Amino acid sequence: MKKVMLSLSALSISTLLLAGSALAADPAFPKAPSGNITLEVWSWVPGLDKTVASFEKAYPNIKIKILNLGGGPATYTKLQTAIKAGAGAPDVAQVEYGFLPAFADTGGLADLSKYGAGDYEEYFVPWTWGQVSPDGKAVYAIPQDTGPFAMVYRNDILKKYGVAVPKTWDEYAKAAATVKTKSKGTVKFGNFYSTFAPWFMALAWADGGQFFKRDGDGWIQNLNNASAKKVLNYWNGMIRRGEVGTLAGFSADYWNAAGAGKLATNMEAAWGPGGYAGSLGTKSAGMWRAAPLPQWTAGGSIKSGNWGGSSNVVTTQSKNPQAATLFALWLNLSSTAITADWNNGGLFPASDAGLALPALAVTSKNPSKFFGGQNISAVYAQASRGVNVNFEWAPWFPFVNDNYTKQIDRMLKGQLTPDQALDAWQAESLAYAKQNGFTVK
Amino acid sequence: MRYRTTPWLFLTPFLLAFTAFFIAPVGYAVYLSLFIKKRSGFGPAQNVFGGLENYLRAFQDTAFLQSLGNILLFLAIQVPIMLIVATAMALILDSVKSGSAQKFFRTAFYLPYTVPGVIAGLLWGYLYSKNLSPLNQITGLKTDFLSSSILLFSIGNIVTWTWTGYNMITLYAALQNVPGDIYEAARIDGASNWNLTRYIKLPLLRPALTLTAIFSIIGTMQIFSEPFVLRPLGYVPDNITPNTYLYLAVARDGNFGYGAALAIIMALFTLIFSSFFLRNVRGETA
Repeated sequence: MKKVMLSLSALSISTLLLAGSALAADPAFPKAPSGNITLEVWSWVPGLDKTVASFEKAYPNIKIKILNLGGGPATYTKLQTAIKAGAGAPDVAQVEYGFLPAFADTGGLADLSKYGAGDYEEYFVPWTWGQVSPDGKAVYAIPQDTGPFAMVYRNDILKKYGVAVPKTWDEYAKAAATVKTKSKGTVKFGNFYSTFAPWFMALAWADGGQFFKRDGDGWIQNLNNASAKKVLNYWNGMIRRGEVGTLAGFSADYWNAAGAGKLATNMEAAWGPGGYAGSLGTKSAGMWRAAPLPQWTAGGSIKSGNWGGSSNVVTTQSKNPQAATLFALWLNLSSTAITADWNNGGLFPASDAGLALPALAVTSKNPSKFFGGQNISAVYAQASRGVNVNFEWAPWFPFVNDNYTKQIDRMLKGQLTPDQALDAWQAESLAYAKQNGFTVK
Repeated sequence: MRYRTTPWLFLTPFLLAFTAFFIAPVGYAVYLSLFIKKRSGFGPAQNVFGGLENYLRAFQDTAFLQSLGNILLFLAIQVPIMLIVATAMALILDSVKSGSAQKFFRTAFYLPYTVPGVIAGLLWGYLYSKNLSPLNQITGLKTDFLSSSILLFSIGNIVTWTWTGYNMITLYAALQNVPGDIYEAARIDGASNWNLTRYIKLPLLRPALTLTAIFSIIGTMQIFSEPFVLRPLGYVPDNITPNTYLYLAVARDGNFGYGAALAIIMALFTLIFSSFFLRNVRGETA
């Protein structure tokens, strides 16, 4: 019975893949405006200058000027200032999904639906379009890269303790208990990143949890939603029983534990495996594998959440919004650009057909090489197609992000139950949003 | 007339730079602090004149007041420890005959000060991590130095490590300036080593100690990089120091007005605290 189900789900995956590939990787792009045009692009994608050379070849009248101002905050501060000043903003800029609402609220982002971007919705993985066009009308950005969630695990450790790769959270908890007993507590089955709100939110996202929603002229914030409570109680139980660790992500402590075989599994975004390969080097190389995120109910299609990833916005200051939109579409839908960005920067594409590009499936190079030659992109491609499409962010998310760490700290110290921690998170973030003038309930 | 204009002419370069780089930014901060953010619906936030509203908010902001409490606690514990250790080290170095060992220790004590604050934070972040900390490995304990309940003290330790040597050098230099004949006279009068320290060296160190104390108070008010660097390693409260709190108000929340108001309150607070300290010290000497 199990085998039948497996092959059935394998079948549905391949149909999905086929459905994806049915749309060309290189759709017909909008016509380029005539005349000599120079576009300024702010992006921290490694090696982007090489990628755009092909664009300039295809569109000889458009020159691209790339400025790398450094990742995230460094670029945002400058972009925020330029938008406020009304001058000095680039034509195109890279912005992470979680920060899009904050920039849309400044009024400095062009609505790309005016330049035909709406026609390209079908070429992107469905959930990514929800991120750039929350109301389904205005399009604030073109999706670039993504971080769908899957599970990474140590094949050798699971074998050693005789546990199968968990497919459900039920199986995961049972395996965690087994490994704890058999290893006498020396091996943690998983790790709860206690300082990364987006990590936790991705897990609740996979269960359909919704944290923010636009509502009329205001917002609804629901940080203590049912999915969030379910997920946090689940992990807190395993933490209390000592089956799961709470090491800070990307810390020396974490990499040491992961490399030394003291950690069996973790939930990571599509960009995570590259970090494992880079940070662990030869330690535990070839012993890791990736599998779909464990599910709350067995047998259904794989549901996942997303952590990170970014998009390309066009500012209202751009003198050539038409050409800028064309560039943003080309950068994220042409197989040349997607392949180059994957090879140079490990960008996991938002383009649906991009997920099936041969470059992603190369197993002789990292990150797949580090994962024992498994085609891990296939696992993440499947995850991306299972990400809930209705997930939204709010402009005050940066505060919410930090406040999460505070409440989780209190929970880990035993001062709050998981439910109380989420209630406090909701209450304090709501008070903050109201104090800063947002209409929110 | 000429006598009146000439000094001003000579002062002009300084006054221009002073106005452009000191008066103007402070004035702009005061100006910014009078504006509050207003929003309606999804539109961008508007900056509207709010008078002293930001200041009123600050004095009702328990998170901000808590950060002031943190820094007062820090002042009460860390600064005395650091200055006592620095004084002791300066006295020891001063009483030992000049030699290669003395030179070595003088440099060694001073060395941490040459390490930039951010690097020191990263270094200590590693030393503090629960499973890799050499201290935990030697003692076999599992102390979490980065736990939010003792983090303030862990930061105090980093600050002490960085600044004790610096203060020691200042105090040591002051001791070197004491003319040798004072000691000679005291010795002829039969003063013991302890008496020499207690009744001659320490009183003569007083001005230098006052100076280091004032600098330490001002430095403590400005603590920022240590807690900021430790943030990715665990939960560091937003308001662990007033500076991290006001930085986040600006850089994370984009609230320039509130951040400016907090900065001005902090400047006044530091000024009042330092002059209060100075007046008390002077009062005692008079």
